[in-house]
Amino acid sequence: MPGRPHPLLTYLLASFVAALTFSTIARAQAAPQQAASKSASSPAPKRDLSGVWQYQGTGGADSMTPDKDMPPMTPWAKARFDSEKPGYGPRGAPGGNDPILQCDPIGFPRIMFMPTPNELVQLHDRVLQFWEREHEWRPIWTDGRQLPTDADPTWFGYAIGHWEGDDTFVVQSAGFNDKTWLGPTGFPHSEEMRVTERYHRIDHDTIVYDMTVTDPMAYTKPIVAPQRIMKLKPHEEIEEQPCVWSLENEFAKRIREPAAHNPAK
Amino acid sequence: MFITDECGSSSTGFIACGKTLIFVIPRRVAHRGISLFLRLDQREIPHFVRNDKIEYFFRSLFSLWVLVLARTNPHRLKSKIPTRSGPAPLNKKSQRDLMRRYGRAMLLAFSFAALPIPAQQQGNPKAAPSPAPKRDLSGVWHYEGTGGSEPIAPDNLIPPMTPWAQAKYDEEKPGYGRKRAPGGNDPILQCDPMGFPRVMFMYTLFEFVQVPGRVVQFFERDHEYRSIWTDGRSLPKDADPTWYGYAIGHWEGDDTFVVESAGFNDKTWLGSTGYPHSEDMRVTERYRRVDRNTILYDITVTDPKAYAQPIVGPRRIMKLRTKDELLEEICVPSEEKSFADRVAEPATPKPTK
Repeated sequence: MPGRPHPLLTYLLASFVAALTFSTIARAQAAPQQAASKSASSPAPKRDLSGVWQYQGTGGADSMTPDKDMPPMTPWAKARFDSEKPGYGPRGAPGGNDPILQCDPIGFPRIMFMPTPNELVQLHDRVLQFWEREHEWRPIWTDGRQLPTDADPTWFGYAIGHWEGDDTFVVQSAGFNDKTWLGPTGFPHSEEMRVTERYHRIDHDTIVYDMTVTDPMAYTKPIVAPQRIMKLKPHEEIEEQPCVWSLENEFAKRIREPAAHNPAK
Repeated sequence: MFITDECGSSSTGFIACGKTLIFVIPRRVAHRGISLFLRLDQREIPHFVRNDKIEYFFRSLFSLWVLVLARTNPHRLKSKIPTRSGPAPLNKKSQRDLMRRYGRAMLLAFSFAALPIPAQQQGNPKAAPSPAPKRDLSGVWHYEGTGGSEPIAPDNLIPPMTPWAQAKYDEEKPGYGRKRAPGGNDPILQCDPMGFPRVMFMYTLFEFVQVPGRVVQFFERDHEYRSIWTDGRSLPKDADPTWYGYAIGHWEGDDTFVVESAGFNDKTWLGSTGYPHSEDMRVTERYRRVDRNTILYDITVTDPKAYAQPIVGPRRIMKLRTKDELLEEICVPSEEKSFADRVAEPATPKPTK
C-alpha cells in the first residue's frame, strides 16, 4: 500500500492548480466525451455492479453540476447560500466555512463528486457502497422495502435500489439532514432533498452514472448532473482515509491559515 | 415522558438531555444515588454523566441501563445540567421506537431499579437455542451484559508496561478508570477515530457481512467498518499504519473465525481508561459461534514494544439481534464542540480549593 498524501492536502493543492489552469466548467464537460470514444470492452455481467470503481477523467472533484446550470434557488436556499463561504468556484475565498474543513461528514451526494474510488458489494438484500474518501459507506436496500416516510435525518440518507433491465441499477434516497453542501462551491439543500441515481453498466468496465436531485424547498427545478463515467479498477482496494480532526487542525494552523493571509498570486 | 434536544428536567424525577431519558431515584429510596437511564440513539453513557462519579453500571433487562452513582445526590446531578427549553414532544417515529423497544421495560425496570442485576443472569434462560450455521457470522450482534464499554481488560490484568509505553501512559488523561479526571485528552473527545481494537469495547452494535474473499465487519459506533480478508493472503509486512489496521481471517473448524490484524498506527488508546499501544501491535481475535444466537469473543493483544506480556481480554459474549439494523452514528466535530461548550464543560466539576 503506497503512501498517499493526506486527502485534504491533495484537495487543496488540486484546488490551486485547477483554479489557475482550468475552469471547473470546462473539465466537467470534457469527461463524458472521453469515455464515449473507447468502449470495446467485454460485455457486462447481468445485474452486477460488484467491484471498485473510479471516475474517468475529472468526473469527480467537481461540483454536482456547473454553477451556471444550477436552477433558481428559493428564498430559503438563497439565504443559506449567501452565508456559505466556499473555497472553490466564483465565490471561492480563503477562510471559508465549508463544513468539511473541520471534518464534519461530507455527506451524500457530495461524496459522489470526489475523485477517490468507491466500491459496490452486492448481498442478497442490499448493495453496499463504500467510499474511500472519509472511509464511509451506505447500504442500498434491495429487499423491496420503501423509503421510510419519517426517517431521522442523517448525513448519508436512506437508500433503496432496484434493477431496470439487467444493466441499470436505480437508487432512490431521502432522509438527509440539511447540514451538508452539494459540492465545494457551496449550494445548500433541505431535509426534503431526494436523490435519484442511475448506474448503467454499459460494458464490463464501464458505468454511466446519472444523478438528479429534487428539492422543492431549495430549488425551483430538479438539479440534473452531467453524465459521469466510472471505470472498473480490478486491481484496487479501498484504503482507509478517514478525516482526522486533530490532523486537520494541525494542518490548518501550520499551512492553511498562514496561506489564507498570504494568498497565492 | 419526553425527549428533548436540549437538556430539561422535571420535578417528578427524571432528566432528559439530548436523546437521553434519565430516571433518578432519590437517595432516600435507594441507598446510593441510583439513576436509571435509557438512551434511544446511542447505547452509551452521555458525557455529562461520565464526568460524574459512576461507581458501577450495567445494562439491565431490556436494554435499560442502571447506574450507581457513588456519593452523588441525584439532585446535584440534576442541578449541574443546564436547563433550557422545556420538553419537546417526541416525533412519531421516536415515540413508536420508544414504545416498541422500551415500553414494557420501563415499567419493569422501575420495579427492578434498586436491585443490581448481575450481567450474566440477564440472558433469556428459556428454550435451548438452535445450532449455529456453519462458517457463518452474518448478522447484527451486540454484547450481552457489560461486554462493551469497558477497558480491554481490568487494570490489574494489564501486564507491566515498557518504559516507552509508560511514558505515553503518563501523558494520557482518560475520563474513566483509576486515572480519570475532568478535562482529559482522550482522542475521541475531538472525534479522532476511535480505532481498533478500542471500537470493540463499545456497547453499540456490530454487523458481519460475508462475501467471497472477505468478511466485512461494521461498527455502529463512528459508522466505521473494516475488511477481514479471507482469500488466503498474508498480513502485509510494510503496511502503512492505519486506525483500523489490516486484518485477515480463517476458520478453525466450522464454528470459530480467527482474525489476525496488524498495521495499526499508535495514535489510539486501548480503551476508555487509556493504555497506549505501538505500531508493532498485533491483535488475535476468536469469534466462536457456539449456537445460533451466541458468539464467544476472545481477544489478545501482543505488543512487545509496549507491554512485557500479551494482554488477554476477558471473554465476552455477543448475542444475535435479528431485528436490528445499524444506524448512522457519526462523530461530528462541530456537534461535539457545541456539546462540549454547552454541556460537558459546565458539567465538569471545578477543582476543589
